[in-house]
Amino acid sequence: MTPPLLDVGGIEAGYNDLTILKDCSLEVRAGEVVALVGPNGAGKSTLLKTLCGLVPARAGTVRLDGERIDGLTPYAIAARGVALVPEGRRLFVPLTVRENLELGAFLPRARARQEETLRLIFGLFPTLQQRQSVAAGDLSGGEQQMLALARALMTYPRLLCLDDPFLGLAPPVTRRFSEALGELTARGMTILAAGQHVRRLLRLADRAYLLEEGRVTLSGSGPGLLRDERLRRALLELTPDVER
Amino acid sequence: MSPTTLAHAIVAGVLLGCFYALMALGFSMIRSVTRALNLTHGDLIILGGYLGYWLWIGSGLHPLFLVPVAAAALLPLALGWQWLFQRLREPKELSSLVLTFGLSLFLQNGMLALWPGEYRLIASEALTASVSLGGLTLNRGRLLVAGLALAAVGSLHVALGHSRWGRAVRATSVDREAAALLGINVDQATQSTFLLAFALSGGVGVLFATLHYLSPSGGAELTLLAIVLTIWSGAGHARSVLGAGILLGVVETLTLLWSGPRWRELIVALMLLGTLLARAGGLVPRRSR
Repeated sequence: MTPPLLDVGGIEAGYNDLTILKDCSLEVRAGEVVALVGPNGAGKSTLLKTLCGLVPARAGTVRLDGERIDGLTPYAIAARGVALVPEGRRLFVPLTVRENLELGAFLPRARARQEETLRLIFGLFPTLQQRQSVAAGDLSGGEQQMLALARALMTYPRLLCLDDPFLGLAPPVTRRFSEALGELTARGMTILAAGQHVRRLLRLADRAYLLEEGRVTLSGSGPGLLRDERLRRALLELTPDVER
Repeated sequence: MSPTTLAHAIVAGVLLGCFYALMALGFSMIRSVTRALNLTHGDLIILGGYLGYWLWIGSGLHPLFLVPVAAAALLPLALGWQWLFQRLREPKELSSLVLTFGLSLFLQNGMLALWPGEYRLIASEALTASVSLGGLTLNRGRLLVAGLALAAVGSLHVALGHSRWGRAVRATSVDREAAALLGINVDQATQSTFLLAFALSGGVGVLFATLHYLSPSGGAELTLLAIVLTIWSGAGHARSVLGAGILLGVVETLTLLWSGPRWRELIVALMLLGTLLARAGGLVPRRSR
């Protein structure tokens, strides 16, 4: 059997004296959409940051296609095809939309496919095509989120990680965004999405993991998990306004 | 005051300003890529100047040939400084001030021990001659230095705007983490910036020594100059550093012309205060949300 695209085995990670992730394991197979849900502070963002090398793993392994990537620098991991749309978007705000996208295609293998990816992106988000010469900082919140996703797509990733992709988006933008993610998965993109918008994430996902206090406490199919009593207790009652 | 005197002051101010910009460039580059403030900047220029001076005494070569030698001589220091800067804790601006203040004292005292009380000038006859240009008499050395400054700023501007290296450096300056997530080797971008900035400082030191007397403690004034121009230029683009340099040069020569040397530094200090009040935040670059 082929190894999963991403295989996280018992990682521990945190900041300074604080341990956030404790013996956390999960896997993502090529072509899958996997959701990572859990209450605030459970370690969702830390897990994504650890995969990308922004936070070092103190124990355990992270494998991409069977090869260990834990311990590599963030840029080496990105070069192997892991992209992250980070919390807070982290756009190059003084630069234009076009410049942000071109920086996404910095790596040679991404550069070779730049025109092709741009066509895909402008098909998903026509606004970005119209606003190419606008500074990223002058875009609306929704447009900034589109640009953040588009910039990550420009890297031509094998695994696309999304940290709270629907945070702070107005309902119409959220719908547009869900549709875009749906289109990407139809094209075979592998996605690992973490966030608080539990229903929307679980509806998109093939499989899902519930993360509580740095550990995976539940896993299953997306819609299956949505009906799970434990998940309801862990999440839905604690965060009543997560969905509209 | 005759129009010729005024024109002369303005042209001299522009030439001086180009030189100022060249002196500030390295400081501004390092600040924009690492957010660290390098208080040893001026001392490195002086060090480059002394190296140039001793090589010039020893070899008798035209000082221009010694510019690349002094530039190369500072490269090992660039790697050492970068190694130290990597170990700085947040907030980087503050901890870099503490670190480089110490390093600056070390460099100044080192130079004082090596060359106590020696004021040195590369008094090359090839550079002190006057040139007549459109009715104005100008110093050949100043013209040459201004030309080199323009060439350096121009090539840096082109390299930053149009090369793969430039894209990596710009992305690293704006948001280091975001750049790394796109596969940009931010460590390499930082290292090349340090090497380039230190080479510039070393080379500029030789040029400085052809125009001004070197003294072991002379670096503080040059660091201050670099800080002023970096604050004025804001974003750290090579072009805006040049603009800020020329502004300072012209203001300085006009102040000299109208009120004599007494007011020069006071006026510059007032302009600096004005900028700081107008742009709250000053040296701290605005961070993306």
